[in-house]
Amino acid sequence: MSDQPVSDHPVSDHPVSDPVSGEVFDVEVGDCGASGKRRVAAPVAVLVALVLGALVFLLAAGGGEGDSAATPLLNRLAPDSTGVYDDGSTFELSRRKGSWVVLNFFTHDCIPCILEHDDLIEFVDQQRSLGTEGAEFYSIVQVSTREQTDAFFAERGGDWPVVYDDDHEFQIDFGVNKVPETWVIDPSGIVRLRLISTVEADTLSRTIQSFREAGL
Amino acid sequence: MSLARTVKRWPAWALLVLVVVGFMAVGTTRDSGPRTEEQRIESISKRLACPTCVGESVFESRNPASQSIVEVIGVEVRRGELSDDEIIQRITAASEGKERLVPSASGIEALAWALPAAAFVIGVTGLAIAFRRWRDASQQLGAATDDDYALVAAAMAVHDAEAHDADDRDVAAETETHGGPQQS
Amino acid sequence: MNLLAISTNGAIGSAGLIVVLAASCLGALTTGFAIVTGNRAGIRQATNYAWLIVLGATLSVIAMQRALQSRDYSLAYIQQVGSSATPTLYNIAAMWSALEGSILLWVLVLAIFTGAVAWRFRSRRDDPLVAWALVVMFVVCAFFALLSFGPANPFAAGELVPRGFDGPGPNPLLQNHILVLFHPPILYLGYVGFTVPFAFALAALITGRVGEGWLLETRRWALFSWGFLTIGILLGGWWSYEVLGWSGVWAWDPVENASLLPWLTGTAYIHSVLVQQRRGMLRVWNLSLLVATFSLTILGTFITRSGIIGSVHAFGAGEVDGYLLAFFALIVVVSLGLIAWRGDRLRSPGVMDSPISREGAFLANNVVFTVFAFIVLLGTVFPLLVEVVEDRQTVVGAPYFDGLAMPIGLTLLFLMAVAPVLPWRKASMELLRDRLFWPAWCGAGALGTAVLVGADGWAPLIGFALAGFAAGAALRQIVLATRRQGLRGFLGRTNGGMVVHLGVILVAVALVASNAYTNTRNLTLVAGTPVEYSGHTFEFVDVAVRTDARSEATVARTLVDGAMLEPASTRYVRQGVTVPTPGVSTGFTHDVYLTLPENNPPAVGTTQVLMRVQVKPLIMWMWIGGLLMAVGTVLAAFPGKRRRNPLDPVSAPVPAGTRAADLDSTGDIDHDETELHRV
Repeated sequence: MSDQPVSDHPVSDHPVSDPVSGEVFDVEVGDCGASGKRRVAAPVAVLVALVLGALVFLLAAGGGEGDSAATPLLNRLAPDSTGVYDDGSTFELSRRKGSWVVLNFFTHDCIPCILEHDDLIEFVDQQRSLGTEGAEFYSIVQVSTREQTDAFFAERGGDWPVVYDDDHEFQIDFGVNKVPETWVIDPSGIVRLRLISTVEADTLSRTIQSFREAGL
Repeated sequence: MSLARTVKRWPAWALLVLVVVGFMAVGTTRDSGPRTEEQRIESISKRLACPTCVGESVFESRNPASQSIVEVIGVEVRRGELSDDEIIQRITAASEGKERLVPSASGIEALAWALPAAAFVIGVTGLAIAFRRWRDASQQLGAATDDDYALVAAAMAVHDAEAHDADDRDVAAETETHGGPQQS
Repeated sequence: MNLLAISTNGAIGSAGLIVVLAASCLGALTTGFAIVTGNRAGIRQATNYAWLIVLGATLSVIAMQRALQSRDYSLAYIQQVGSSATPTLYNIAAMWSALEGSILLWVLVLAIFTGAVAWRFRSRRDDPLVAWALVVMFVVCAFFALLSFGPANPFAAGELVPRGFDGPGPNPLLQNHILVLFHPPILYLGYVGFTVPFAFALAALITGRVGEGWLLETRRWALFSWGFLTIGILLGGWWSYEVLGWSGVWAWDPVENASLLPWLTGTAYIHSVLVQQRRGMLRVWNLSLLVATFSLTILGTFITRSGIIGSVHAFGAGEVDGYLLAFFALIVVVSLGLIAWRGDRLRSPGVMDSPISREGAFLANNVVFTVFAFIVLLGTVFPLLVEVVEDRQTVVGAPYFDGLAMPIGLTLLFLMAVAPVLPWRKASMELLRDRLFWPAWCGAGALGTAVLVGADGWAPLIGFALAGFAAGAALRQIVLATRRQGLRGFLGRTNGGMVVHLGVILVAVALVASNAYTNTRNLTLVAGTPVEYSGHTFEFVDVAVRTDARSEATVARTLVDGAMLEPASTRYVRQGVTVPTPGVSTGFTHDVYLTLPENNPPAVGTTQVLMRVQVKPLIMWMWIGGLLMAVGTVLAAFPGKRRRNPLDPVSAPVPAGTRAADLDSTGDIDHDETELHRV
């Protein structure tokens, strides 16, 4: 490199040939220090690079949508939680055996819930067109009040049964703390699928169809 | 000055230590009473993440979803059967712990505790090793001789001739540069 | 897309971005080539490219502002953030309320810094060090211009919209307080400012001139960037507390952590750089800290913008994350490669005599800050690690960070107490005994005061004692300096630094007190019935609704000790988003903080309201401390000692390089302001 220091201080720029310290240090400490440093600089740089490479990998690999999520309940009997219908009567999950049941955990103000609502309407239509084969669909309302929920459905459509989880039974039994979540339970009451965040009508219908065909 | 010096001798320091220990003893043993239910709910809800709003604890969040979890905590606390950890365990069990704000001490989550400790140990050890090497190096150097001082004076004269326009350094003229010259 | 639909604003703005992109790419290539081939005329051209970059960026921003103010809905970005209902000031700030505009703001600030470097060093523009620094700045400019031109194009044409279309306006969080005009730009000044020392560090590595020259060139740039970053972070805390009703000033949210990371390494740097200036040591380390600071700003932007880790700062995710991550990797690879290559030249010539010395304290400070930064980074990305390894979701939250930050904070307070009295090189026990005497009694006094006003608990009490200790040490330095130099004793690196320390101590005390002694209760208040809590009376009056074109605010009017507070829940109609606003009564000893439930604002006419009441001690001192830090930063940037006028008569030639002994054992201050001030 053709250095042309214009006003830089010579002491600052060429420490090794520095008239002050060069004489003193290069002769006596310099050699052992230098050889020590030389051996260290490159390996340390490589080591740091490896660690940061792992970090970059982590950042690049992470953050997937995490659609289908594991749960201890998967392929086990669903808990027999109960909730309350709009009219005050009791909804008992254990009595829904015999048909496919899809539970959608929701609050009126969660943005993904609003986003997925049109797909839910489409999904319910698709299932209804299958007749008795089709899955039953329930919204499990998490914290919204009756008025908020009514206003939500009045504004955005959807006419399936709505279940209020007033005693947090569903929330605690299913371990749902973040909405929306969609759970699929087969006719014998076994949990088959847990989906976190938004769902798509076609994908959900197809998945349930594939479960049916697999004879589950 | 000498009075100030005398004051700063060890009896005054001993007094200081006594005072500090005394205040600490008063402050830390002060009885603030048994924890109320409300305090328990507060401390538990501070350790859980708000489910629908990322980043806030259930305690801070004014979101309904968090409020419902606070209610669940309240039910358990008033029932009074479970410990704080057990309540958290129960609330987060079904969700594989994703609402816990503090990593657990087992499995991969233990790394969150082990790595900071390791970083600290590495840092302190590194410092210790560095100072040891420096000490060895400076012992090899030995004390500055008259030749050294002459060398420095000569070098500084050259240095100043080159650099006198560039700086505004102190004009103190003492040359008591014990321990070798330095770059300034 | 119909070309005719592209507005003049879009055309001008895009043209500006093209100028920035072209000038920075060409500038980097031709200047780099000219340096390598030794073509001096070519090297001198570098400044001209810098002017072009400033011109292009300014043009783009003017076009963007014009489009915002005229609600030019032919642009996709204006469709996203524009609204006829937004007041002018928030409309200006709407530029940085979403991704594309934020990157544009970044480009502008970066362009200004590039221009400033070119201007500042215009007389030395054929110096390879300066030229290489400009090349690095050009490369960074090119990257951000590329972002702005490609995946985050603020001038992209929007869908054709029907006549009479009106947009939603900016994110409600970004249009409910005047602070939005200041917080992001100031933070960006801090982030982007570190590009300058980083560029000079790389230039020093490339040229091999790894001595102290480049440090002196960039000391003030680093200091000001650090100051802006500090103010930006504190303003963010103030905003979250006073405006957003997040009830705390700091929640260890990933986005907050992203801004803290470069601050931590930057703080380490502005301390350890003193060792290099003074002793010529720690060169690799200082370079690494600068590289870390700069790359952490990029990493922080990645974390913020990619949405990879959930955050309360709901920024829109774009396609920029891949670019940012790649750029981060590039910075790391290039910097580490250079450091490995220049490892031999970086060898420092000196030795440290004793750990109990000023430089020893700075080293300890650096270890603590680095470990702190590591912990923050680890905690922030830890959920990703768990997800990748075990495929499940986790959250690492405030209790984790609080728990680990506590011992670190106490250690730092201790270092702040001891370091300022330590001389360079070596300290004796007698000297420590003398110099630490009054600071230690300050600590005891602080502890005593805390105990007398009823504080309890180990950690807070140790915190107060150490804070008093550290404040005593800082005051000692200032008192000695002002006694000797009058008002000039506030100026300079050391003395200004002590003012900053006092600010930090106030912030620390406020944080400790508010974390440990906040009283919280959810009160059900009935109209007309005062309720007593924590020494205050609360009386709910009524619920009022205030509407304007943008929003509908439900206000629960409440008397606190006879003064009206108005906690509110504001619904922004166009976005359908509710933003809580706390009612805060601020005092020197404590704040009273009222918030309403988030989604169930009380109805008009109701006689009963559920309100969260918090009594938080000493919060105000955090803002005073922040102010003090800003003032101290400015003081530290001034040269400390009176400059010698070269025309002044001098009785005898005095060797200017020599100076009073470092081992200044007379119990007096060090005069640190003696290094080169080449300004």
